[in-house]
Amino acid sequence: MNSETGFDPELLNRFPTSEERPKGEVEELNRIWAAPSGWARLTVVNNNYIGIFYTGTAFLFFLLAGALALVMRTQLALPLNGILPQETYNQFFTMHGTMMMFLFAVPMMEAIGILLLPQMLAARDLPFPRLSAYAFWAYFVGGLSFFASLFFGLAPNGGWFMYPPLTSITYSPGINADFWLLGIGFIEISAIAGAIEILVGVLKTRAPGMTLARMPIFAWAMLVFAGMIIIAFPAVILGTLLLEFERALNWPFFDAARGGDPLLWQHLFWFFGHPEVYIIFLPAAGLLSMMVSTFARTELVGYHLIVLAILATAFISFGVWAHHMFTTGMPDLSISFFSAASMAVSVPAGIQVFAWIATFATGRPRYNTPTLFLLGALITFVMGGLTGVMVALVPFDWQVHDSHFIVAHLHYVLIGGAVFPMFAAFYYWMGMTSSRALSERLGTWVFWLMFAGMHITFLPMHLTGLMGMPRRVYTYLPESDWMATNLISTIGAFTLGAGILLFLVDLARNFRFTVEDDAGNVYGGGTLEWLPTGLYSTRSIPVVRSRSPLWDDPNICEDVEKGRYLLPNAPTGHRETIITSPLRAEPQYLQIMPGPSPWPLLAALFTAGFFVLLTIQAYTPAVISGVLTIPCVLRWLWETDRPVAVRTADVGAGIRLPTYVTGPSTHGWWATIILLIVVFMIFLMTVFSWFFLYGIHPRLWSAPDNLLSLVPVLGGYGAAAGLLFLGRHLLARTKSTHWSPATQILLAAIALVAAFGIDLWSWRESALDPELSAQAALTFAFLSQQGLLVAITAIMALYLALRNARAMITRPRNTTFDVVFLFMLYTAGQGSVTAVLTRLAPAGFPA
Amino acid sequence: MNAWVLLLGGLTVWAIHFFLLYSFASLFPGQEIARILTLAATAPALAVDALLLWAAAGRAFQTDELDRWVYDVSATGAALSFIAVIWQALPALLV
Ligand code: HEM
Ligand SMILES: [Cu+2]
Repeated sequence: MNSETGFDPELLNRFPTSEERPKGEVEELNRIWAAPSGWARLTVVNNNYIGIFYTGTAFLFFLLAGALALVMRTQLALPLNGILPQETYNQFFTMHGTMMMFLFAVPMMEAIGILLLPQMLAARDLPFPRLSAYAFWAYFVGGLSFFASLFFGLAPNGGWFMYPPLTSITYSPGINADFWLLGIGFIEISAIAGAIEILVGVLKTRAPGMTLARMPIFAWAMLVFAGMIIIAFPAVILGTLLLEFERALNWPFFDAARGGDPLLWQHLFWFFGHPEVYIIFLPAAGLLSMMVSTFARTELVGYHLIVLAILATAFISFGVWAHHMFTTGMPDLSISFFSAASMAVSVPAGIQVFAWIATFATGRPRYNTPTLFLLGALITFVMGGLTGVMVALVPFDWQVHDSHFIVAHLHYVLIGGAVFPMFAAFYYWMGMTSSRALSERLGTWVFWLMFAGMHITFLPMHLTGLMGMPRRVYTYLPESDWMATNLISTIGAFTLGAGILLFLVDLARNFRFTVEDDAGNVYGGGTLEWLPTGLYSTRSIPVVRSRSPLWDDPNICEDVEKGRYLLPNAPTGHRETIITSPLRAEPQYLQIMPGPSPWPLLAALFTAGFFVLLTIQAYTPAVISGVLTIPCVLRWLWETDRPVAVRTADVGAGIRLPTYVTGPSTHGWWATIILLIVVFMIFLMTVFSWFFLYGIHPRLWSAPDNLLSLVPVLGGYGAAAGLLFLGRHLLARTKSTHWSPATQILLAAIALVAAFGIDLWSWRESALDPELSAQAALTFAFLSQQGLLVAITAIMALYLALRNARAMITRPRNTTFDVVFLFMLYTAGQGSVTAVLTRLAPAGFPA
Repeated sequence: MNAWVLLLGGLTVWAIHFFLLYSFASLFPGQEIARILTLAATAPALAVDALLLWAAAGRAFQTDELDRWVYDVSATGAALSFIAVIWQALPALLV
């Protein structure tokens, strides 16, 4: 066997060990990992709790959005029905679509990931428990406030994709649209926080020996899911930012008369929006793969093809966004490229479907409620995929665009690709979090009601669409021939609703949350989440030698429980988990993890407060709330990154791992790099917008008159970079005095502020007015991003100085220092590119 | 890191190729040059795919389980990408 990190893989053969473990270790683990009780329970950070809160909240939003759907279906049951007036109907479909996509589907997958992944990877917890807590609370508060807008008639009404000019201030003067822009922008921040957690978790906290080739498929799916969020979500964050700027400050990004273009929004939105569909589908498919293997009682057929299919889906899904824009008059050749890619993206989905069928065919399948949901998902998803290939054909799409055919298609894919798999997963994994399993007898009813309801609702809807009924209309005329199919659809919707109601009854009767005495492995799965666990996850962390360890090693549960594997205790006396290498999962070091804390919760409340108050135009309170976030975040971080007394610790069988490591192999470094990729993607999308708008209206662009200011700006950013490297160099020289490295960082921050200040000042002095041209507006959009980065780095530099003053900066290297260093260096880089790009490109502006 | 380059190599070629094609078609809407550039970009993309396929398939007979798996997935990915790149360029000849 080869090694990735220099760790000798033979060492792992010492496990399971045979000597008795000393008494009291389990009690110690229980004490360290205990969740606070009473009101303090709100400050909990363990993944079991956060995961279940998260799943519960996402399910709540599913129910609320579903209720809106039933009201809409009631309105559409008969022609000229009077239940919902037009304006309310508009708000309902917008809220239904937006909540289903942003508050239910994506968060639900993230929630299931947070709940299952640590157990599946046999980690004690995900690497940043407080970040999960923050992501959850931000989502919880933000989501509920967003939903509440409905009760004040202030809910957004521009459809879930919010196209301008309909959503620009001229046609949507109220604050309804702002609720969408700020609310969704905010929820995306929470999604990204979760994605960073999941990415680093899957890459760095897998049980030793769990190589890439032995990872559970769900972990693969979540890895790709999180990667896609990192690449896709920045596009919509930028889009919402620009549209909000346009509405609030009259900067014309999407106004054709002043050099903007409404199609820019469509590009930005769908560059996110299509991958979003796969962001939802891939984790669900991952869950299906895991369950298929268990129910067929055999290894998954074509594991490596499924991994490849997941990766291929992720890549290709970024090349299909414009299939939502076939009717906008793009060049023929471009349209054909997108059409070709859209057909290609169905191939990897097909690979997975065939692998599942093959697994069932070679195994000895069992039939129970989750199997039913699984097969229902397959059938429904395949049907949605077929209509998907139909609308990928341009002429067909021209025919059915914006009709109920599309509504039918999208519900087939989403319900087949996410909702049914989710219900299957609920039944299958219930034994992990509940002391009782759900009822098989009721479950059969739940399934058939939901399955029948789904098809009765949406199958006839294809026909309604083909007969010409547009989507997003609140009613229709009796003469229109759409009566029969609409009535059937409504009956189906209530059947589906009855199924969900029955599921709630089952939940109320049987779901009892527990960490210790769960119902367990009811269906006989072979992966690590079925090891016996407590709040500390598994007693000891097993060495993984195959893809289904529980099937291949009948003793593993006992050995794990008796502490015969790694980390059977808490050698440092803190919460800790083993960090392993990304390819081969070789143990690298022990990560010390933070415990419960109110600060992530408070930070989330204040961030949410900032966005909500901003929406209702209470600017001063908004700013106060925003500023209050900063000390909360800093306070939460303050307790982290502290070396412990013991430099290395015995993790069992005489293997010693360091307890404090710095540099590129650490979880902190990885998280910073991923965050910087997000920032960079937002920037890259702005660059795209820049060239896109230039390409549309080159004649409206003019050469800037502040070329000379480039010299001091670049000088300032260059100086900052130099100071940063100097600071790092000094930190490594242990002899230098107490203050010097942090001083370099402070000076670097000053250089950044100065460079940015000069840049901003030179633009304000120039003749370009951001209210008059999209060119100037985009320039100021670049500057806004840079200003935010510079402000953050200034806070970081002060924070570092404070830690330095308390002698918390370790030498020769230190993680907090590295994080600040990377962030500031990046800021200097983006600032320089911004300065050059806004002045010089596209080369030689026609005057 | 080499393993990641191989694993994602084929798909990355597809992605770069796709975005080049999209840029050509947008920069030169309705012009013949867009087709020519498309074909010009397709040849090197296919060459890189072939190279990746050769590099991965040549090493697929390893005793180490993970190495074998990585080369296996990489080779299949490169082959898939080869076909997908041709498919992606076809509109330049057909439309
Ligand atoms: C529970 C069963 C469901 C029913 C009965 C239902 C019904 C509806 C109805 C009546 C519309 C409005 C059609 C129109 O007037 O244009 C709609 C739109 C939509 N639904 Fe559903 N839906 C259901 C579940 C879902 C789920 C699970 C998702 C996503 C995960 C979803 C996502 C959407 C989206 C994205 C739209 C488009 C909204 C827009 O036009 O802006 N729906 N649905
Ligand atoms: Cu799409």
